[in-house]
Amino acid sequence: MSDAPPLRPFVIEALTDLGAAVSDGDSLVWVQAPESVQRDLEVPARFALAFDPERNQEFEAELVAPGSYFLERLVSVVARRGQWDVSQCSATGTEWISEALHECGLGPETAVSSRVDGIEDGLLLLFAFRVTLVSDEKRESFHLVAVSLVDGSTWPVDPDRADRGLVPHPSSGIRPDVEAAYRLATDSLRTTTGAEVERFRTRSLGLLEEEVRRIFGYFDRTIEGLRESDPGGSQDLLRAVMAERDRRLTEAVERFDPKASASLCSIRAILVPTARLVIEFPDGTRTESRIDAWSGRVRGLACRVCGGTAGPWRPSSRDGLRCATCASTPAESARPRGRPKSDTPRRGTRAGGASARSPRGSRARSRGASSGRPRP
Amino acid sequence: MSLPAREPPPSADASLTLRFDDSDRDVLARAFRTPGDRSPAWRLNGKAHRISLVDGFDRLLAWPVLQGVTRYDHQERTALRVLREMRGRAILADEVGLGKTIEAGLVLKEYAVRGLVHRALVLTPAALTDQWREEMETKFSLPFAVLRSVRDWDRKPFLIASMDTAKREPHRGAAQARPWDLIIVDEAHRLKNRFSLNWRFVSGLSKKYMLLLTATPVQNDMDELFNLVTLLKPGQLHTYDRFLERYVASPDRRVPMRVPELRGLLRDVMVRNRRGIAFTLPPRRVHSLAVRLSPAERRLYDDVTEFVRDAYWSASGRLPWTARLTLIVLQREIGSSTFAVAETLRRLAQSPLFRMDERERLEELRQEAVTISTNVKAARLREFLRSVDEKVLIFTQYLRTLQYLREVLAADGYRVAAYHGGLSLAAKDAAVRTFRQDREIFLSTEAGGEGRNLQFARTVVNYDLPWNPLRIEQRIGRVHRLGQDREVHVVNVWAEDTVEANLMELLDRKIHMFELVVGELDLILGNLDERRSFEDLMMDIWVLRQAEERRSALRRLGDSLVRARAQYEQVKETNDTVLGETGEAVSA
Repeated sequence: MSDAPPLRPFVIEALTDLGAAVSDGDSLVWVQAPESVQRDLEVPARFALAFDPERNQEFEAELVAPGSYFLERLVSVVARRGQWDVSQCSATGTEWISEALHECGLGPETAVSSRVDGIEDGLLLLFAFRVTLVSDEKRESFHLVAVSLVDGSTWPVDPDRADRGLVPHPSSGIRPDVEAAYRLATDSLRTTTGAEVERFRTRSLGLLEEEVRRIFGYFDRTIEGLRESDPGGSQDLLRAVMAERDRRLTEAVERFDPKASASLCSIRAILVPTARLVIEFPDGTRTESRIDAWSGRVRGLACRVCGGTAGPWRPSSRDGLRCATCASTPAESARPRGRPKSDTPRRGTRAGGASARSPRGSRARSRGASSGRPRP
Repeated sequence: MSLPAREPPPSADASLTLRFDDSDRDVLARAFRTPGDRSPAWRLNGKAHRISLVDGFDRLLAWPVLQGVTRYDHQERTALRVLREMRGRAILADEVGLGKTIEAGLVLKEYAVRGLVHRALVLTPAALTDQWREEMETKFSLPFAVLRSVRDWDRKPFLIASMDTAKREPHRGAAQARPWDLIIVDEAHRLKNRFSLNWRFVSGLSKKYMLLLTATPVQNDMDELFNLVTLLKPGQLHTYDRFLERYVASPDRRVPMRVPELRGLLRDVMVRNRRGIAFTLPPRRVHSLAVRLSPAERRLYDDVTEFVRDAYWSASGRLPWTARLTLIVLQREIGSSTFAVAETLRRLAQSPLFRMDERERLEELRQEAVTISTNVKAARLREFLRSVDEKVLIFTQYLRTLQYLREVLAADGYRVAAYHGGLSLAAKDAAVRTFRQDREIFLSTEAGGEGRNLQFARTVVNYDLPWNPLRIEQRIGRVHRLGQDREVHVVNVWAEDTVEANLMELLDRKIHMFELVVGELDLILGNLDERRSFEDLMMDIWVLRQAEERRSALRRLGDSLVRARAQYEQVKETNDTVLGETGEAVSA
């Protein structure tokens, strides 16, 4: 999740990408639109855009602001395009390996040693999801989930960094198994959004409970009062009050019932150099790991305390490998409560035909995910 | 009788899991199999989604999109409070003139922008349906339609209906059969009685959010407050018996008890903004420019009036509705200028709505009209303009009067900006802009600047007087509104012994209309026990043949207006007593 991008550059970039000629003035943006844009956006061949509501009366400019008709059309057109892409990571050499290890707390200063067994062409799939939570309010968020087709690991990606170090790649010939990777990505998304979804659910149900209690309180006491004041009174009246109560309850349930949904916005395949390496920790244990040059994420490690796979890491000869969070927490309170924190799903098959992973991470990992490249 | 089991709601025990959209399959099926998509498009796809994300109600998304709406903090705060704290169910009880309609529109627009409202219903008094439609369309770009047939309940997702029509079959059943995301009830004090058809109809509508708009939730007694709140949130004021016992002084149901505690409960469901000192508008000063028509004008006025009365009471029986309307227009035009009436007389002289002898009379009247080259009212106006040295807005209802005045004023050397319905949007903008910059006079028809800010001027001239007092108020409201910090001058030009003279008698002398705050007149007229519009009442009096009959009818209407104003004052006082602190004092 991240902040929304600024509006004006987005609109100019989008129109340009759609084939329009755009001239950015001080207060207005002038657009010369090809026929396809005129048709899709319902605009004339030449028109002006205003980003300030005080200016859109000038030249009958289209107002661009959240909720404006033009922006809604543009967003809808742009979101129907660009649903898949192939890029490749431009990194060369091997420096990125030591940088990645250092970044995640496994640099040479920590007495961790590593040996690169080979560098191979790996493939990552990046799934973009829009998550929507609705009850009587709506909360939406945007998530990117990376799935490694080499080892089936998954992790969240900051949308603002999704382009870092990537160049376009001619896409012919790339046919990844998107179905299997999608399943892993959806599992990962469920895990990463789980706490937020649960908070939303708890809050909605709390509001519903309050509403239901108030409705029952009001109608039940009203019925009681009617019975007391006139014991042999009209049954029709009581029935009408009860029908009204039931209708109000139904209305409340419909209003506050929480729903959570996600939709896939796009997929990006990333060809990226991926290193196989063996990491030896101060306590003498060894782990096979993978690092890709794009994300720099060291995969195949798991915290001894919480089982998390995200790092950063704090290896020690006494306690073994722990994530920074667990390492900075007293041992008692660091014990896992319930489900271990992990971005990577525990169940499911590996993408790219590899076998199932061990719940504890790297030790039971299969080796032969790819043929590998000779060590430089 | 058995009560429904007190089971927890359906999903209380089940965990909420993310459901993935079926359309994901399509994206997966196409990916990497079809040519085309590129990195820039992929990047833009992500940006498009992120830009259109909705996340709670941390700010108003719709605020920047509104057209021709001056933004006031209290309106923004109210909308946010309704969205965040009241979760879309609220009574908007601002004092008149603080913009309840804008607040309701803001809430509606926010829900619509966030995709939470797809179907909305506005229930209003019949006279306000078109005004609501216009406001929703021009200010909020919301495509509302006014209910015309029972099929509209199915076909129009954004509908405005008069309460009186909607609550009766076949509309009632059709309205209640469908769920509504949002219902807005204007003039919601009409829901004061929970045994009334109005109350039961609204209660029977299935809705997610509901806004009740009224400046006077309490009209007569405290029961009304209970009924209004219970419609919105049953149980908020306890049961009826408990409410009476705790908050109403027996036996007088008009007197509240434990007011601070009651206001505490009301704060959960009601916003009532009041005018703070800084928000009080400057006073209005009214100037009356009465004229005596020239002999030729007088003769024409009387001849036209005679024709109107004759045709109105035609021996051929009740006139068709269109012909009656035409006669009203004719009478109003002669009240504006001889130039306005001349063209209509020409048209009517050829109209099959009238008999041959009537058409001949109309042609004679036309010839009489075109011989008159100057109007006394214009001379009086010029005299007035010579006495002022600041920008002036002059309103007339008719384009021909506007054209005449433009020539006269230009000949006197005034720089005039003309504004009327025939201009393009750009030309209208230019008219407002040039008036602000270097024009002395803004000459406008009724289309004159709905929603445009003209507060930099402070003098309004009513060159003619619309028979609908709300129209007069709208004209004055162009300058006498939030943001005006100088005394406002309202100048009424009218001729003796005309309909307009009667209008001045009623509105100025009887109810001091020109001293009212915008919005109050509406409430006073609402207290009139009359189903017909004010224009119809004026016409009904004017067409009476005997002068004594006319005087007597005018007196009765005047008395009704005085009573209506007194009733309004009393209701206002009651509401201030009961609700005074449920909102906040508004400062500009």
